[in-house]
Amino acid sequence: MSFFRRNWAFCKLAIVTNLEYRLNYLIDAIASPLITAGVEVAFWTAIFTTAQFSSSQETIGGFGLKNYLSYAIWASFIARISVNWMYEFRMIEEVESGSLNTLLVRPMNFFEYYLSQFLGYKIVTILLSLTVPLVVTILLELPMIWSHLLPAILLAIYYLIFLYILSFIVVTFSFHLTRVQGISVAKNLALWIFSGELLPLDIFPEPYKSWFLFLPFSNGVFVPVAYLTGRVDETALWLGLKSISLGIIVLGLLAVPLWKLGLRQYVGTGA
Amino acid sequence: MSSLPEFVIQTRGLSRRYRTYEKNPGLWGSLQGFWNRKYTEKIALAPTTLNIEPGQIIGLVGANGAGKTTLIKVLSGLIVPTNGEAKVLGFTPWERNHLYLKQMTVLLGQKNQLWWDISPNDSYALLADIYDLDREQARKRVQELAQLLDCQHVLKTQLRRLSLGERMKMEIIGCLLHDPKILFLDEPTIGLDIVAQTTIRKFLAEYVKEKKPTVLLTSHYMDDIAKLADRLLLISKGKIVYDGTVNGFSQKSKSRQKILFSLREPMNIPLKLADQEFATGTLQFSVEVTDEQLPLTMNQITLLPGMTDLRLDPVDFEEVIHEFMRGE
Repeated sequence: MSFFRRNWAFCKLAIVTNLEYRLNYLIDAIASPLITAGVEVAFWTAIFTTAQFSSSQETIGGFGLKNYLSYAIWASFIARISVNWMYEFRMIEEVESGSLNTLLVRPMNFFEYYLSQFLGYKIVTILLSLTVPLVVTILLELPMIWSHLLPAILLAIYYLIFLYILSFIVVTFSFHLTRVQGISVAKNLALWIFSGELLPLDIFPEPYKSWFLFLPFSNGVFVPVAYLTGRVDETALWLGLKSISLGIIVLGLLAVPLWKLGLRQYVGTGA
Repeated sequence: MSSLPEFVIQTRGLSRRYRTYEKNPGLWGSLQGFWNRKYTEKIALAPTTLNIEPGQIIGLVGANGAGKTTLIKVLSGLIVPTNGEAKVLGFTPWERNHLYLKQMTVLLGQKNQLWWDISPNDSYALLADIYDLDREQARKRVQELAQLLDCQHVLKTQLRRLSLGERMKMEIIGCLLHDPKILFLDEPTIGLDIVAQTTIRKFLAEYVKEKKPTVLLTSHYMDDIAKLADRLLLISKGKIVYDGTVNGFSQKSKSRQKILFSLREPMNIPLKLADQEFATGTLQFSVEVTDEQLPLTMNQITLLPGMTDLRLDPVDFEEVIHEFMRGE
């Protein structure tokens, strides 16, 4: 019972903290996705205008402008859900600065403390940011399967747990190396490609396409968005669930000894 | 290690070493260090054996880097020792059993432990959830403690907007909310003005009198130690060099006193009193003497022409400690 009580409190803490800085939060939750949506519409419209002008092409890779716009709008929304750089940097900072001390001496653990905050923040932000792709999809009449919306978002939220454990592992490196922001940035760049945020993964040639789809990272952006826009069916969704679950088990098994090893090195600097 | 119930803290050969990287100065040193780093080991805490009884207030004193904070960090479970064993309330601290963590508290004077972006009241509500306390009782306890510390007016203000003294009071309330049996207080009055120091010292004195927790206290202000502690641990270069009472320490170190007096007219020759020389023209004198030097020096002083305002003061506890540390 006390486990749920404190974790619900951590969830609320993330929301309360963000609401202390209202303007920053509104920009993050509404203005940023709005700007991203504008850029994506302009970018894909320009590409198709050029393609039509130079070779009278109505489609690229078998998909039309509205398909790409739909993918891009929903990909930017789901990609905003499937990132953890903000909390990852905070977690690294806790170890680096020694402020982890204040968490270690309380009857709770670091993993649950940040996971609950992370999920609390994400769920509220999803509800707010969702308005942007919904409005754009309706206004531009973009192709999308409405009944796929909830499963797609739930898959992305499940992926967040996998992503969080990955961040947690990066954080354990900071016990030994102190500064690990470089590793964090490199990892995020790799995720940008492997998740399908940069480009839809199904336009890559084989065998890369199959490899990318097999990895859990594809469930960060590509699988939920492709499912939502009708590029893949339920099979991909179930495969995604399995792939994330396997990823959680593997990373979880790695994270426990890495954390314990890190704590043996920890010196609690700064106190 | 057999755990004796009469001790709340027991350590056997507890030690901690740190590995540090030594870099040669300048750009060349950085380039060398990039490929070939030289590490050295520093002993932060030499093998330490301690037994602390329930309800004792231990003053932990030492210079910067002496190992005080390291000892507190190991005993509170923040860091893992290199060697040795420890039991606090029957638990191995660095295993961080939640039952242990619910019975102790750590106040790190140089760190914020409450949440920076929210009000103390919100932080206390969160702490009540973390420690699984009854919400209403926790709220009442906050009011009681805030009243004693005279800081009810800032409970709803965001922590980052409070002064250092107010923040420290808030931190103290946060530490005591769950009625801990053991308090690790590391520099609770550091950086505070004299009024805030006195308020916190008074509050802690009343609190320990009423609740009788075991306290391990470090402070740079010897007044904190002299007024609160009933046992003194002096730590130097990671080793405990004195373990006894505060009074016992003052007696063990050469008992010293200070004779203060003035002259109406300056002397025209230099004056030598108890091996201390005073230049011509001096009007105000402060002479440190041992018990043995006292009668002869007093005799000399009373014979001086125009001597006035004679008084005898004990030497500050702080000065005694500093002198002892210089000898270590």
